[in-house]
Amino acid sequence: MDPSEVEFLAEKEMVTIIPNFSLDKVYLIGGELGPFNPGLPVDVPLWLAINLKQRQKCRIVPPEWMDVEKLEVIREQERKEDTFTPIPSPYYMELTKLLLNHASDNIPKADEIRTLVKDTWDTRIAKLRLSADSFVSQQEVHAKLDNLTLMEINTIGTFFTDSLNNLFKIRANLQPRGESTMSQEY
Amino acid sequence: MASQEYSPVAAAVGMDENFLSLDDILMSQEKLTSRVETVFPRLGFLEKSSDETDIAVGTKLEMPLWLVKGLHDGKRRIVSVELPKIYREGWRTVFSADPNVVDLQKLGPYYYSLGLQMLHFDSPENLEIAQTLVQTYVGRFRRIMDSSQNAYNEDVSALVEKLDVLERSLFGAGQAGLNGFQCWEKGHASRITASSLVKNYRKRKFADLEV
Amino acid sequence: MFCEKAIELIRELKRAADGQLPAFNEDGIRQVFEEMKALYEQNQMDVNVAKSDGRSDLIPTIKFRHCCLLRNQRCIAAYLCVFYDRLLRIRALRWEYGSVLPTAIRFHMCAEELEWFNQYKKSLATYMRSLGGGGGLDITQDMKPPKSLYIEVRCLKDYGEFEIDDGTTILLKKNSQHFLPRWKCEQLIRQGVLEHVMS
Repeated sequence: MDPSEVEFLAEKEMVTIIPNFSLDKVYLIGGELGPFNPGLPVDVPLWLAINLKQRQKCRIVPPEWMDVEKLEVIREQERKEDTFTPIPSPYYMELTKLLLNHASDNIPKADEIRTLVKDTWDTRIAKLRLSADSFVSQQEVHAKLDNLTLMEINTIGTFFTDSLNNLFKIRANLQPRGESTMSQEY
Repeated sequence: MASQEYSPVAAAVGMDENFLSLDDILMSQEKLTSRVETVFPRLGFLEKSSDETDIAVGTKLEMPLWLVKGLHDGKRRIVSVELPKIYREGWRTVFSADPNVVDLQKLGPYYYSLGLQMLHFDSPENLEIAQTLVQTYVGRFRRIMDSSQNAYNEDVSALVEKLDVLERSLFGAGQAGLNGFQCWEKGHASRITASSLVKNYRKRKFADLEV
Repeated sequence: MFCEKAIELIRELKRAADGQLPAFNEDGIRQVFEEMKALYEQNQMDVNVAKSDGRSDLIPTIKFRHCCLLRNQRCIAAYLCVFYDRLLRIRALRWEYGSVLPTAIRFHMCAEELEWFNQYKKSLATYMRSLGGGGGLDITQDMKPPKSLYIEVRCLKDYGEFEIDDGTTILLKKNSQHFLPRWKCEQLIRQGVLEHVMS
């Protein structure tokens, strides 16, 4: 999967905006949007929020977790635990990137948030590699990986499945095979 | 895009080969030192140094794997094959000491695939060979993962220099994941780019690309 | 040694990395076929001798040649499997370049491959016309999720006049910059005529 496709999926996440225009309900295949009233918060998918923001039609309310104090707690917990801690949004990276790029003026302490999220990501990726390595070196056959997000899986997924496939193929020959496979037919 | 992109037939990696895989065809071209155990009439001309009409018993020939495999017969010994030194005990000791120091590109480069193919010849050392292959792979895994996941936007030729063909493709998969993510993080992921084919043809200086 | 020519064909294909299309090597294939014919005839002769004169000592040689025949067959199948490796590359060209291929690439294809490309083009077009309730949908567009209907592009070479949606034409001159409908220029970007400029 290309990361741009992962981002596309993330754009379906709902965020709250405060519009500065009025519009009746809009009926789309993906669901109803609105109604929009100036100053009244309304939930819309991220793609629409960004589009409206770019045209200066709204203010975006950052998600509850996108807050320096909350993210500090998350980062510390992530560093402390050996396993992956539950993350507030399955698209935390994508949301952070899109919102900070397009609506940083609506998000307090945007730069700090960027750093905190990136730190959390780095910690998680380091853990992912560590567990991949111990999985391979101990030649485990199954593992449980909870709380991973799509973007994280996507970054290492192909590499990891490829390496396990190789290991499986190389290891498959530790037991001698039957004689039938040895003969060749002409 | 992935489904329509050109993706070649992969090597099988194992005792069977993938019939149409270019990598497997090239791997099975690897030369093995073999001893002829029966007379091959009328094939003497294959030996450059000899004027005989036949290949005599005891002649040593460098034969490609595919031929040795084809001639190998469990019941009747037509040829016997020497285990390449990298799979022999001396090297196996080196591998078990530290698999990371070995230059598999120079000694391989089809270390794993060829090693698994060698299991066809009923060597008494088969079990040890197979075990060494697994240990080597596991032992080298961490370094390949780390280097492929850390090297962003730099010349990787030094990193892949000592990797065997299988490891190189694994390294490539790691790089693809890293590059995809970095490209996205920089905000370039949604950019439409020229086809890699176009770029390559341009590199090869095709002056006229007009339709 | 036998089968040297055949492995050369495979190496040639392997060297053209990244899915490029090397020139179709008809001569190389002919040489492999000649070797195969010779191997087959020699084997046929020896088989007859072995049968009529009880010369079982010939069997190893027969087997040897037979292995070489099979090897050549495999290499040719993989190469020629025009219908396989090369076809995968040719199919990728339709998605990368669009329905009209540059002459430099067409030059590298044999007549049968061009024919196959045209057939593939047709069936893809038929399929795309049938989509969207008969309205048609170009599925080779928007290979990445589109962000906007219009995009900023820069011209990398003199291309000439170009007609856009509303019937007006614009002049695509080297280094000129335009704001164009995405679906109109995606293919030109892939072909390296335009460059997608991101703000």
